[in-house]
Amino acid sequence: MTTKNRSLDGSNKTKTSESIWKKALSSDSEWPDKDEFLDVIYWMRQALGIILGLCWGILPLKGLFGLLLFVVLNAAVIYIYVSNFHNVDEEEFGGMWEITKEGFMTSFAGFLVTWTIMYTGLHGNSSL
Amino acid sequence: MWGDPLLIVFISVCTAFLGEGLTWILVYRTEKYQKLKVEVERQSKKLEKRKEAHGDSLDKQHKKKIEREEERLKNNNRDLSLVKMKSMFAIGFAFTALLSMFNNIFDGRVVAKLPFHPISWIQGLSHRNLPGDDFTDCSFIFLYILCTMSIRQNIQKLLGFAPSRAASQQGGALFATPPAQFK
Repeated sequence: MTTKNRSLDGSNKTKTSESIWKKALSSDSEWPDKDEFLDVIYWMRQALGIILGLCWGILPLKGLFGLLLFVVLNAAVIYIYVSNFHNVDEEEFGGMWEITKEGFMTSFAGFLVTWTIMYTGLHGNSSL
Repeated sequence: MWGDPLLIVFISVCTAFLGEGLTWILVYRTEKYQKLKVEVERQSKKLEKRKEAHGDSLDKQHKKKIEREEERLKNNNRDLSLVKMKSMFAIGFAFTALLSMFNNIFDGRVVAKLPFHPISWIQGLSHRNLPGDDFTDCSFIFLYILCTMSIRQNIQKLLGFAPSRAASQQGGALFATPPAQFK
């Protein structure tokens, strides 16, 4: 009985995560659960931080320009994703500011770590 | 060139898991914590809904109800913090010892090269115990703090130990306003 329940739970979980992926990737999806949508934004931000960090390190971009470009791109991607791709009413989530700052600091820290590591590994040889 | 920074990321992943594991043993798995957490989340959501529905109304009865619920939530939040506090102290001591050990190992060593010039009030951290004036040299502590900031929170979220949004929002609002008895 318990194993049956457990396997049912497991299949439910995979189903929900599948449907979240589907919802996140298809435009104009309905988001009755606010937390679900904010979670999607949170994890998207983390992925974006790491990807941009890798790119900035490989190029390499340096200085304030790199930092500012990250902040602008990060905010712009989320803004476009929220208001153009999903056409979500931002007031439902406490305004655009709430959405913009969702997971920003964590993503920024992740970006700085990957940027620094890639930059050190690929371009820091001469100076280290 | 890759060795030191990757080692620091590894250390920070290990310490994050260790910290969460210890907190799970001391706090998260206890019945008292679980009960309080469920209660706080339920109350936070209820309060949020009530505030949304009657936020602007001047009805005294609703206001009184909201205030009473806020008071109850505040008490539960305080109990929750108390339950967490004991283990946080224990973990804090253990981590301070660990950190000072790693600090000694990496003392005076440039572990990475920063691709930007840190602003002056961060330079004390990013250039701690490093020789020379090149502020793009990065010390162990700065990279470790950055790693912890990103890794620990993500691990907490992945494992489901992070506080829910409703609870932290209500908690933040409650801590922002001074308690009634001090008004």
